[in-house]
Amino acid sequence: MRDPYEVLGVRRDASDDEIKKAYRAASRKYHPDANIDNPKENEDKFKEVQQAYKAIVEERNGGQAYSGQRQGARAESREEDSSHLRAAANYINAGYYREAIHILNEMQERNAQWYYFSALANVGIGNAVLAKQYIDRAAAMEPGNPNYQFLKMQMESGGAWYQSRQQSYGMPELDPTNVCIRLCLINALCNCCCGGRWLCI
Amino acid sequence: MFGYVTINKSELKVRELELYQSYYCGLCRELKDRYGVAGRIGLNYDMNFLLLLLTGLYEPQKEDLGKGCLLHPFEKRPVRRNRYTEYAADMNLLLMYYKCQDDWMDEKKCRSAVYKRLLRKGQRTVKEKYPQKVEEIERALGTLTEYERQKEKDIDKMAELSGNILGTVFVCHEDEWRAELYRMGSYLGRFIYLCDAYEDIEDDIKKGRYNPFLSIYGESFFEDSCKDLMTMMMAECCRTFERLPIITNIEILRNILYSGVWNRYEITKRKRMAEGENRA
Repeated sequence: MRDPYEVLGVRRDASDDEIKKAYRAASRKYHPDANIDNPKENEDKFKEVQQAYKAIVEERNGGQAYSGQRQGARAESREEDSSHLRAAANYINAGYYREAIHILNEMQERNAQWYYFSALANVGIGNAVLAKQYIDRAAAMEPGNPNYQFLKMQMESGGAWYQSRQQSYGMPELDPTNVCIRLCLINALCNCCCGGRWLCI
Repeated sequence: MFGYVTINKSELKVRELELYQSYYCGLCRELKDRYGVAGRIGLNYDMNFLLLLLTGLYEPQKEDLGKGCLLHPFEKRPVRRNRYTEYAADMNLLLMYYKCQDDWMDEKKCRSAVYKRLLRKGQRTVKEKYPQKVEEIERALGTLTEYERQKEKDIDKMAELSGNILGTVFVCHEDEWRAELYRMGSYLGRFIYLCDAYEDIEDDIKKGRYNPFLSIYGESFFEDSCKDLMTMMMAECCRTFERLPIITNIEILRNILYSGVWNRYEITKRKRMAEGENRA
């Protein structure tokens, strides 16, 4: 494939917005609907433009793996941990998350370590919701524990990015009588006039 | 289930609000034209969001600007329609049909049974148009119902199934953008599922119904945990969204995704806090 930046006609240090604009300009030019002459040539060009865009996005943002996936947090056993907990920790560190969950679920006693290891194991198999609830409970039971805080922060890192972007948009006004209700009323009225064809031009 | 994916009105410019409204009017008109009066049952802004998203992504060249509205008969109020209005209208009807089915099965609301009956013909039309999509949605709904009956404790499974339904709805064409749209819809669907559960927790407890937050309700970290979880879902949705080459209507879309979706959550949270203060 040609250099994607060349295909889109942008510099390597172009901003994300510039890349998007370049894509749009190129795709409008080669869009199947836009050109009836040379349809095959345009179709190939259109595909090239799309692939170039995707390649640039991939290069800049990496893959689509879940951003909360832990990177390198080991399950560290403590002296007082039971043999079950130790076994679970070993499984987690070896990447055998389901086996770890199996052991953990058989245990009656559920202390902070139990919740922490359960969180780690569930992150491993992609159960973000459950993992979050477990780590929150572990952190609540032992607020000072740095390992628990670290995992919690890692899981919330995607959220931090999102929250930084939220700053520009503010939180919604709390008055429920916003435009949505007004639109609902419009809808209700339109419904009432039996299809309303003679009133709606 | 509906009414989450909406705007934060106070942060939009006037012309953006008018544009948003013109697409909504177009959706309303399309539903009426295709499915009659019944078609407008459950017209919602969530599908208006999908319409704006697909319009921004595909930039359809032909756009029809009708005019005229019941409430403003002497104004030129644009009624904007393009090829994605038809798709959004079809999905709107489909989702409303299943919601009525769900409400009737869960709560035996007579109104839901009546609406469902009214939407049946429309649902059949949509099923003929998109047989595979409808089959996938019906399968996911069936599994979801079964899990709820069994009081399935795996929240991720439930949220994912629910999310996948919206993911399927978001994919209009089987093309280069399929994966991104599916992922966006899927995480937005998870957010809605969790937000809905957060809203309904007290009611569900009272009526002995399933709720994914049952195990942490009442804990000191309940509020933070719910908020963080929902934020994680929106973060994934938006990371995917920002990868799409959308310029048209981008500010309206961002208004919805970064702010508007939290509307119902904020209302519920403040209400709960006020009730808590009254009790204290």
